[in-house]
Amino acid sequence: MGDFSWTSQSPLQKALVPGVHGAGSVPGVELTEIRNILLVQVMARRGNAAAAARIAKKLFGIEPPSRPGAVFGKGVALVWSGPDQFLVFAPQGDGSLMERIADAFAGIASLSDQSDGRCLIRISGARAAQAMAKFLSLDLDDGVFPVGAAATTSLDHTAINIWREADAAGETPLYNLAVFTSFADSLYRVIADSSLEYGLRSS
Amino acid sequence: MSGYIESQPLGRTSAKDDAAGNTQATGGTQSHRLRAGGLIDRQAPLGFTFDGKAMTGYAGDTLASALVANGVKLVARSFKYHRPRGIMTAGSEEPSALVEMRTGARREPNTRATTQELYDGLVANSQNRWPSLRRDFMAVNSLLSPIFVAGFYYKTFMWPAKFWEKIYEPMIRRAAGLGKSAEQPDPDHYDKAWAHCDVLVVGAGPTGLSAALAAGRIGARVIVVEEDTQLGGRLLGDGGEIDGMQAGEWVRRAETELEALPNVRVMKRTSLFGVYDGGTYGALERVNDHVPVPGPHQVRQRLWRIIARRSVVAAGSIERPIVFPGNDRPGVMMASAVRTYVNRFAALPGRQVALFTNNDDGWRTVEAIRRAGGEVSVVVDSRGQVPVEYQSVVKASGLRVLSGCVSDVKGGVDGVRGVVVTGADGRRQEVAADCLAVSGGWNPNVGLSCFHRGRPAWRDDIAAFVPGDCPPGMRMVGAAEGTFALGECLRDGHAAGVSAAVDCGFAEDAGSAAEAGDEGYAISPLWQVQAKGKAFVDFQHDVTASDVTLAQREGYESVEHLKRYTTLGMATDQGKTSNINGLAIMAATTGRSIPETGTTIYRSPYSPVAIGAFAGHNRDENFHAWRLAPSHHWAAARGAVFVDVGLWKRAQWYPQPGETDWLQSVSREVTTVRNGVGFCDVSTLGKVDVRGADAGTFLDRVYINAFSSLAVGKARYGLMLREDGIVMDDGTTSRLAEDHYFMTTTTAKAGPVMQHLEFCRQVLWPELDVQLSSATDQWAQFSIAGPRTRELLQALCDPAEDLSNEGFPFMGAREVKLRGGIKARLFRISFSGEMAFEISVPARFGNAMAENLMIAGKPFGVVPYGTEALSVMRIEKGHVAGPELNGTTTADDLGLGKMMSKKKDFIGRIMAGREALAAPDRQVVVGIKPLDRHRRLRSGAHVVPKGEKPGPDTDHGYVTSVCFSPTLNQWLGLGLVTRGRERFGEIVRIYDPLRSEDYEAEICSPVFYDPEGVRQRG
Repeated sequence: MGDFSWTSQSPLQKALVPGVHGAGSVPGVELTEIRNILLVQVMARRGNAAAAARIAKKLFGIEPPSRPGAVFGKGVALVWSGPDQFLVFAPQGDGSLMERIADAFAGIASLSDQSDGRCLIRISGARAAQAMAKFLSLDLDDGVFPVGAAATTSLDHTAINIWREADAAGETPLYNLAVFTSFADSLYRVIADSSLEYGLRSS
Repeated sequence: MSGYIESQPLGRTSAKDDAAGNTQATGGTQSHRLRAGGLIDRQAPLGFTFDGKAMTGYAGDTLASALVANGVKLVARSFKYHRPRGIMTAGSEEPSALVEMRTGARREPNTRATTQELYDGLVANSQNRWPSLRRDFMAVNSLLSPIFVAGFYYKTFMWPAKFWEKIYEPMIRRAAGLGKSAEQPDPDHYDKAWAHCDVLVVGAGPTGLSAALAAGRIGARVIVVEEDTQLGGRLLGDGGEIDGMQAGEWVRRAETELEALPNVRVMKRTSLFGVYDGGTYGALERVNDHVPVPGPHQVRQRLWRIIARRSVVAAGSIERPIVFPGNDRPGVMMASAVRTYVNRFAALPGRQVALFTNNDDGWRTVEAIRRAGGEVSVVVDSRGQVPVEYQSVVKASGLRVLSGCVSDVKGGVDGVRGVVVTGADGRRQEVAADCLAVSGGWNPNVGLSCFHRGRPAWRDDIAAFVPGDCPPGMRMVGAAEGTFALGECLRDGHAAGVSAAVDCGFAEDAGSAAEAGDEGYAISPLWQVQAKGKAFVDFQHDVTASDVTLAQREGYESVEHLKRYTTLGMATDQGKTSNINGLAIMAATTGRSIPETGTTIYRSPYSPVAIGAFAGHNRDENFHAWRLAPSHHWAAARGAVFVDVGLWKRAQWYPQPGETDWLQSVSREVTTVRNGVGFCDVSTLGKVDVRGADAGTFLDRVYINAFSSLAVGKARYGLMLREDGIVMDDGTTSRLAEDHYFMTTTTAKAGPVMQHLEFCRQVLWPELDVQLSSATDQWAQFSIAGPRTRELLQALCDPAEDLSNEGFPFMGAREVKLRGGIKARLFRISFSGEMAFEISVPARFGNAMAENLMIAGKPFGVVPYGTEALSVMRIEKGHVAGPELNGTTTADDLGLGKMMSKKKDFIGRIMAGREALAAPDRQVVVGIKPLDRHRRLRSGAHVVPKGEKPGPDTDHGYVTSVCFSPTLNQWLGLGLVTRGRERFGEIVRIYDPLRSEDYEAEICSPVFYDPEGVRQRG
């Protein structure tokens, strides 16, 4: 018997229909699924938080956040996810990064590969904050949730991670939402339905 | 209410228009529309129908003001007596003018005509009448009113008891009640949203605007909510002069300034309805109630949760009716409402208006009516004297003023024709009038201050309750706090705005408040006019003054009892116009003071909120979030039938062409697995990565059996208890590396178990080096079962992988390479009792795995199977699941007592040793087989000893899980039965009163299939 093909699938394969939807001709909300991400949860071993931070600095060139927040390096974002732990987001690439991370943190931190455990949805656009006010209880005001802010919060009673990146072109805010894969179909529906009123472009 | 009319009202009525000619109709149907003035747009006429009759109004009208402009007085029938009713107020407190808005699926009963904005094509109908509003057959109730008094349900319809459900209740419900709700699902969308601010300002009258300007100018993030379509509050109806300009001009400037401030957000058409913990406020925005149908993708209403650090509540006050016979006739209207209709809407409620007042403020109505060209036929002031500032007016104009009370109102369905005035000397005289304006004084709107159980305080000088203790962070100000003078309202609002902003860390430099005069307000309370006839206290619930005194006579003296016995204040208006009058009458009847009598508890919502708004997005298929297994779309494409398991959608079975019944499909799936091979997506089971140097120790403490001794590359079944010794959950846990265990839980308990583990890690044993992460969503996991499983896997796996019994023994667990380049985790575990493996790959390969299992298994006749087949096979094999792990069973009850380690401590060990939990007569898991092989066993049926009468003393347990076993060709079950393991072979009675079934069955071992376990080890 020959080889099998292992085509990967997005949890949004049904829910996300690329194109322009909803009211108006100028979409107020942009929704993008970021595919093929590498997502690793790094949890320092007992007493090794400082050592884990040093290794992260060496590996990514940036210190992981020690309080809720996101730090951005070259092609990588480190997002706080709890005391002495953080998430590493990077492009999946050729798969070698995971090995390098595993080698670097061996004995210092426990790693949990969550690349398939989360679905990453990026939200931007002039009306994004208005749409997000419908499904997030967070205060997204610039003074309260600036670039680099991150939170673990709930969306439709479901835990998610959110962090704000540097503003998109046109200077509209840009947010990343990491949602559990099994909930992605359902939560995307909430996000899209909340955006239709303002016009939505999805990709 | 705030401030006196010192100059012009907001409308643009000029002095020239003050001529009598102004009362003439402006053409069309609007017989009572003034020629000029008002905040309406005469360039934008709007057509509407009421009870099928076509009329017109203007943009800026409410349905109520348009009806007033059209000379319509009769708009409703009352709740209980079907009395003709008109429009009483011009605000959200309206108790009488309730109509059915719209038609079909959008039909909405009990809409207050006073808050419904007019739109072109609006369709409204009166309700609670048959066959028509004018000739309402049910008005006969009014004649029967002696039996409809307070507490009539309890007295009249007591016997015979069985008549209640079939006859009395349906009859009462038909006779009473208001409008009818739509019978189809609401086609509109509703949603919910959050908003955040430093200072929330509730109400945009002069006080609220002053507060918002002050807080906004110094940089605080301000949200202003205003239930009306326009800012201004009472200024819209009463005008005034602020900072040397017309009140209207001041409001326009304030609005412009607030709009220009980026830190201020003004939300019109938004009612604040609740105050919750932590500075959270509930508000309802009527986004599209003022259009026939919301535009595409638009919402009808939006429910806001506003989180504010401080709030300034400037909710104003509500004018109070006076209780006298005939006070509910169409055309009897609050004096402030008369002024609002005249000044704001340029609509004259009557051409010959009588005024009945007990305070100075009511007198303003005289000026408003006269300026509009109407006639004031009489002013009745219960206090016996004309206020000083009106004495010259009275003298100059020859205004007829009577000292005394209105003791009756003449008229019929078409409204007021005259009023009967009884003087202080008892002399009665009748005065012609087509409208009666009533002012009983002003009640500060204290409701929001009381939602955290604050009790309002009584103030004698204004004869009203004012706010007591407010919820944290809230301050009441302006008329809502009992301050009625316009200048004082502006100053207090300003100070409250500054103070709230300063509390949030902003500088104090907000300039000074706008200025206006501080006129006085004098009142001598008059609650009730003693005279013969029906005098209404609660107009919406048809509670009269005599109902209140009757309640007192029957012993219901407490206001809380009064409320329940008479239903006073329990209608949708929550007694905004009636509660205080009701308790004042009760106070007088019992000889107590009003503060001694007290108020009932105020509760949210302040004004009615549609259930649809609370539901928002979460209706129909979006009722709650759902989870999809990695092969969901593959299964859906194959026509799988799905079942909700918690939030998950799981494939229940996969019907094939020709199968007509679920049992056919399920039995085929079971038979195929038992004789060949099948697979099932089991990704829904909880998966937890447990890592760290102390991971083994950690698991030893949470499981009843040992895991630190488990070899790397092995899996073990584990059972965990709650602290109280009852079984919490089970699953297999594998050791993938020295410091890495991979735990699985049941689908249902995945969340609670993760929570429990985190509690253990963070709170109980923080000293252990353990890290946890949920991996449930990371992996697509499939169970592959049946005698040909190994052959299928050999086709799927890299040829170098040794899957023989020696190379991969039962309970082995390790990573394998698959053909095509990806890696998988393979576990040799079995739930079905067959030779079986579970295989996991990253979730993105879920669909591909299902497809490849079909390809690899094709030569062996592979089938996908669903949760039903899974359940059949576990029952045949006697494995326990949810129905047995039901929160009442111990490890021993499940037949797993021997797993409890004696060499170590674990959660639940001590408590599991309690006498009752270790008693020999506990109900334990057994197998149950009906004697009649064709008999369908049903779960829930009781187990009773043969020959005994079923009852609590003979109830020996019940059937927990059942299935039709195609393998044994009969129905089987598991059950929990007293001393069950000692009773194998005993014939018992299965008694099922819910389904009227009664038959015999044999108690047996729960393991029906392959008790030696040969097949799973083969």
